[in-house]
Amino acid sequence: MSSYIKASAAAVVLMLVAGAAIFLYAPTDALQGPVQRIFYLHVSSAIAAYGCFAVVLVGGVIYLWRENLIADRFARAGALAGVVFTTVTLVMGMLWAKPIWGTFWTWDARLTSTLVLWIIYAGYLLVRRLAEPGRQAARFAAVVGIFGFIDVPIVHFSVTWWRTQHPGPIIVNDALPPEMLAAFLFTLVCTLVFAAVLIGIRYRIETLQDERETAVAPAKVVPAHQPEAVP
Amino acid sequence: MNPLRVALAVARKDLRSEWRTRELVPALAQFIVLALLIGNFGFQIDARNANTITPGILWLALVFAGLVAFGRTFASEREQASLEAMLMTPASPVAIFAGKALAATALLVICEAVLLPALNLFFGADISGDVVAAVLLATIGMAVLGCLFAAVVARTRARELLLPLLTLPLWIPFIVAGGLAVQSAMGLPGNYQQAIGLLIDFDILFVVLTSLAARFVLDE
Amino acid sequence: MSVIVADGLTHRFGAELALEAVDLVLDTGEHIAVLGDNGAGKTTLLRILATALRPTAGRLQIAGLDAFRERRRLRHYLGYVAHSPGLYPALSAIENLEFFCDLQDVNRTRAGEAVEIVGLGHMAHRRAAELSRGMQQRLAIARAILHEPRLLIMDEPNASLGSDAADLLTHVMRGRTVVLATHDQALANRLCPRTLVLRHGRSLGTATHLRVVQ
Repeated sequence: MSSYIKASAAAVVLMLVAGAAIFLYAPTDALQGPVQRIFYLHVSSAIAAYGCFAVVLVGGVIYLWRENLIADRFARAGALAGVVFTTVTLVMGMLWAKPIWGTFWTWDARLTSTLVLWIIYAGYLLVRRLAEPGRQAARFAAVVGIFGFIDVPIVHFSVTWWRTQHPGPIIVNDALPPEMLAAFLFTLVCTLVFAAVLIGIRYRIETLQDERETAVAPAKVVPAHQPEAVP
Repeated sequence: MNPLRVALAVARKDLRSEWRTRELVPALAQFIVLALLIGNFGFQIDARNANTITPGILWLALVFAGLVAFGRTFASEREQASLEAMLMTPASPVAIFAGKALAATALLVICEAVLLPALNLFFGADISGDVVAAVLLATIGMAVLGCLFAAVVARTRARELLLPLLTLPLWIPFIVAGGLAVQSAMGLPGNYQQAIGLLIDFDILFVVLTSLAARFVLDE
Repeated sequence: MSVIVADGLTHRFGAELALEAVDLVLDTGEHIAVLGDNGAGKTTLLRILATALRPTAGRLQIAGLDAFRERRRLRHYLGYVAHSPGLYPALSAIENLEFFCDLQDVNRTRAGEAVEIVGLGHMAHRRAAELSRGMQQRLAIARAILHEPRLLIMDEPNASLGSDAADLLTHVMRGRTVVLATHDQALANRLCPRTLVLRHGRSLGTATHLRVVQ
């Protein structure tokens, strides 16, 4: 069994255990009821998404600086995984918001900046597809990845300053009961492992694709009509 | 060689071409008037709600006119294969980029000279010096970002599609801060000083970042 | 001294191999013609030699410098006539050249000299858009020699040039090292003692005064 299959299996098992922790171990929230259980995966995948985009940022900077292909492949892998986790975050957040806030969507700072995050990195993936493959695509994408990463906190800040209603960070100011905190931390670790495995697998796929594109061409065929030199 | 001289030469070349052909500015001006027309029907603007709605229409018209203007400035170089010719000279790519951005900004400012009076004429919006200052400050940052990504998409497929997707998210801070500045200048709640301060911060940040990134986008 | 030392130049666009392991050594003052059908890789090779395109693999030295690490230093050394003229249609012939004088950091009087060299003196104040294809080509050649490059790389410069193409090219090639891509076997033989033949991105070798046997 290849190490990739082993790692994937371990990641899936961890996520299942995290699911058990969320539904069986963690207590039901007194105010919000079972809906609150969305919180564990919602926040974890948001943090995982930020981690993935940090990989894109670092990979992009290293690529622009050193033209290091490995850094670029990690950036590609991080972008794809990050978009997946951002999608999960957004969808779960909306499912939570409907019963609690009474609406799927509201233009508050965190929602707006997460949506912008999604759009920017979806754009990143599009640039990779639409630019000439190789150096140019890598450079353009690196610029998009770096600007995107810087833009998101600014969007967040500018909208916060405008208005916000998203629940504040309740993890840091021990408002969370110990069981909930334990379930959350466990889910967070599992999600980060899952993200790392996704990036690893994607990195391998990108490597194989690069290798296929630059595969050594078949041996030179001697042309039938050699040009003839005339003295 | 003096980068400032290069930037000015490039900007002068672009503006002279535009002056001779008069392709972009009349089309953009017409586009802006149409945007106002659509805004009027879309929002049922009258004397009572004009001041609350016109800031939004201002930014919508400006954003889309900007996308067209910045897209054209690099697309035309690309179509004529003249971008490569410029990059084959010893002139610094960042200076060439600055020149292109300067010219595109000037064209957008000309469009604003149509847009702002038109908002006043059609909707009776109160266009004060404060509004003009906010719009001009936002234009700087939007122009450098717009030109950077216009240079990117000029060398990709489906560029008309990709430019808004890359540029609009990055323009949001300018639209939020600029929008607040314009609203408060038009008598709606909001802190004008703070919004202008933010616009200046964003301008500085993105001008610096863009000048660092331009080399990677333009150089082969 | 060798002006160009190219070793295994290879370029691919995505999965498509445009140029494969092309070697070339060119000495000072040599003129070489690159021959080949459409799609043989002539333009790709010339763009790489002009440092406008980075090869996927292979090494290129120009005037003893690594062509891609030090391409900024080679700008003064190298003139390039690309496949499409790349002019500004709304500017006059002379304004196009003056603009590039500014970018090349040479005196604007060079624009007037160059426009005479390519025989466009009488059209200097016409807009580039009003010039015929051949005249635009002349203007592109004039632009490439504004800064008196020692190495001149020309991609199909004779396309639509007309009957005096050979005379004009002989004139601008004098005293320079030249790489010239063309379809025109007769012109190549007249202008360049050496020839490099490309087919399907591969070099069929260089020869001196060769004749392609079909």
